[in-house]
Amino acid sequence: MKKTFASGNMAIAEGALTAGLKFYAGYPITPSSEIMEYLAEKLPEYGGVLIQMEDEIASINAVIGASWAGAKAMTATSGPGFSLMAEAIGLATITETPLVVVNVMRAGPSTGVPTKTSQSDVLQARWMSHGDYIVPIYSPWSVQEAYDLTIKAFNTAELLRTPVVVLSDAVIAHLWEPLTLMERGEVEVISRKTPGDPTGEPYPPYKPDPDLVPPMPLFGRGFKVLVESLIHDERGFYSPRDDGYRSLVKRISLKVLKRLDYVYEQDARFTEDADVLLVSYGSTARSTYLATIELRKQGVKAGFLRLKTLWPLDDDRIRKTSNARKIIVVENNIGKIYLDIDRIFKDREVYPSPVLSLELPTPRDVLEAVEPWL
Amino acid sequence: MEAQPSLLSRTTGKYRVSVVIDRCKECGICIFVCPIKVLVKSSVLNKYGYHPPDPVNIDKCIGCRLCEYNCPDFAIYVEKVV
Amino acid sequence: MAVTRQIHPLDKHLRLERIPTLYCPGCGLGIALGALLRALDKRISEGAINPDKVLWVGGIGCSSRMVFYVNYDAAHVIHGRAIPFALGAVLANPDLLAIVTGGDGDIAGIGGNHLIHAARRNIDMIVLMFTNFVYAMTGGQVAPTTPRGVSTTTTPRGNPEYPVNAVKLVGSLNANYVARASVTTPHYIEQFFYKALGMRGFRFIEVVSTCPEIYGRHIGLRDPVEMYSELRKRIKYKHKPSLEEAEIDWERGIVIGEFVERSNPSLIEILKGVRS
Repeated sequence: MKKTFASGNMAIAEGALTAGLKFYAGYPITPSSEIMEYLAEKLPEYGGVLIQMEDEIASINAVIGASWAGAKAMTATSGPGFSLMAEAIGLATITETPLVVVNVMRAGPSTGVPTKTSQSDVLQARWMSHGDYIVPIYSPWSVQEAYDLTIKAFNTAELLRTPVVVLSDAVIAHLWEPLTLMERGEVEVISRKTPGDPTGEPYPPYKPDPDLVPPMPLFGRGFKVLVESLIHDERGFYSPRDDGYRSLVKRISLKVLKRLDYVYEQDARFTEDADVLLVSYGSTARSTYLATIELRKQGVKAGFLRLKTLWPLDDDRIRKTSNARKIIVVENNIGKIYLDIDRIFKDREVYPSPVLSLELPTPRDVLEAVEPWL
Repeated sequence: MEAQPSLLSRTTGKYRVSVVIDRCKECGICIFVCPIKVLVKSSVLNKYGYHPPDPVNIDKCIGCRLCEYNCPDFAIYVEKVV
Repeated sequence: MAVTRQIHPLDKHLRLERIPTLYCPGCGLGIALGALLRALDKRISEGAINPDKVLWVGGIGCSSRMVFYVNYDAAHVIHGRAIPFALGAVLANPDLLAIVTGGDGDIAGIGGNHLIHAARRNIDMIVLMFTNFVYAMTGGQVAPTTPRGVSTTTTPRGNPEYPVNAVKLVGSLNANYVARASVTTPHYIEQFFYKALGMRGFRFIEVVSTCPEIYGRHIGLRDPVEMYSELRKRIKYKHKPSLEEAEIDWERGIVIGEFVERSNPSLIEILKGVRS
């Protein structure tokens, strides 16, 4: 254990190193670039390789290739680069490739405001690629959590053989806070399961264990593995029939949902007596938390729920968090996670409270945004 | 049960030319590239409806393997008979 | 049911459950694949290559599908991105020998930027680009290599654009090996690939192929033999030709040969500190 002082971007890089990162490919983009710069310095010391690619498409595809070659692999980017990675995220889901993509969110659409914050990519991150799949998404609210959730993202990716997204933002990226770094052994680090040695018989790389996750036969070990982007059977052979198609797309979603207990995390405070529940996440939750305390000082029985996992959501757990009559969703976008919270609390009054602020919204901004619903 | 590939095979003299009947797609390239016209389209119909070549003039084969090297479907090969 | 017992001399290199290929009758790609496997077989039997370390990577298109016919580690990935996928794999495990296969659309069209930067980096991999002058799998649209004037489904009034000469493009960069062969000269495909397998750095071989079904028929060549024979007439082998001589033109002829041979340090050699 080591105490230090770091930015959110540095914390993400350190979290990746603690989790066992061995390959990083990326392309410079504000406000994520320091992650790559930091790793360019440090990753070789950890026996890893970092390469700056010609674009984000190349970066994510190189990360997928590296993962199949046995490396824990990651890339980091921001909105425009994240959009370019969409197709390859789909490749990673169908080929069940463990990897981590960090999106340090900035204001969009398009070039938007490169240096300023936003939370507008939260639904894009879920469904950025075509087809059916579930990609777990984590959203840190502090420098420490940027570190912790990056480790968690790697663990989830390796446990479930899936791409995982970390949604940071420009505020967290450049925020400096105390950070406690863990040594190997002080924190759980999960690595993908792999099959035993090849037997000479053809090995089915997509044959799942009871947890629905197939052991991963890596390149170069004699498995003659076929990594296939087409809908495939357990051997990796193209299989354009309903039964094969259904079993594959269901399995790659169900394997994640089966471990919802592991994947889904939240942080609930003052929920016991709450009449009003403020739901928030990421950097905006910092101000929402202070606003909650302020409301309680004013005599409003306010509760606070912060989503650390933005997808998949544990509907039951969220519903059981609070008996509050009113639920207000505070987020720095036009109202996106609100859609889920409204669905989950369908028998209660749920209100969107979008702040749309290029800077970190202040607690006063949050209070002003929630006031009309109180 | 393991499927047994049916071969159309002819040998006389120094070379054996074998055709894997069900791999042939009747493109005709082997017949075209053979410098001494060993191969002739056969009347055999394979399971995909193609007529594989028949090395009827096998006695003239010089073992150049142009048929084997130019077959797009791994359907013909030449062996030296010892 | 497909033939599963090994019988043809190259059968041990194939996933026999998937043979016959989906390629149309007379498709040049199968000829090229045979030549590649003979060269690989030779290197393996000489003990120069461990078959467990061979990795085939293909994007999308007929040529890219070669990777799922070969009995090796293989990845059939997304359109145009085989090169970066292979780059990630070899950087993460430098013992791997990456062989990328793709058509001119996949490698020089949608993947063109990756081709340029892979050659510039001299990253250790072999890229085999099969040029058949058309987008075949999607039904005959204009490709980066389609000659001017040719009518395709998306240039019904004739192609108004100039084609790319990938050999000149890659040769102008930092690739260690640049060659061109034709499916009508399978011995040169075998010879050039054999040589490339023994080298380091970025190695690029353009294989001029025949698409009798989607291209040949549309330019008046009625069957695979006619397409093969017309291409063969246009092929001119030159011994170590210069890049300036790397003509690829249906009217003026197609020059094949080994255009570039260098021994510049590869990216992996530099990263490992073996060479600088």
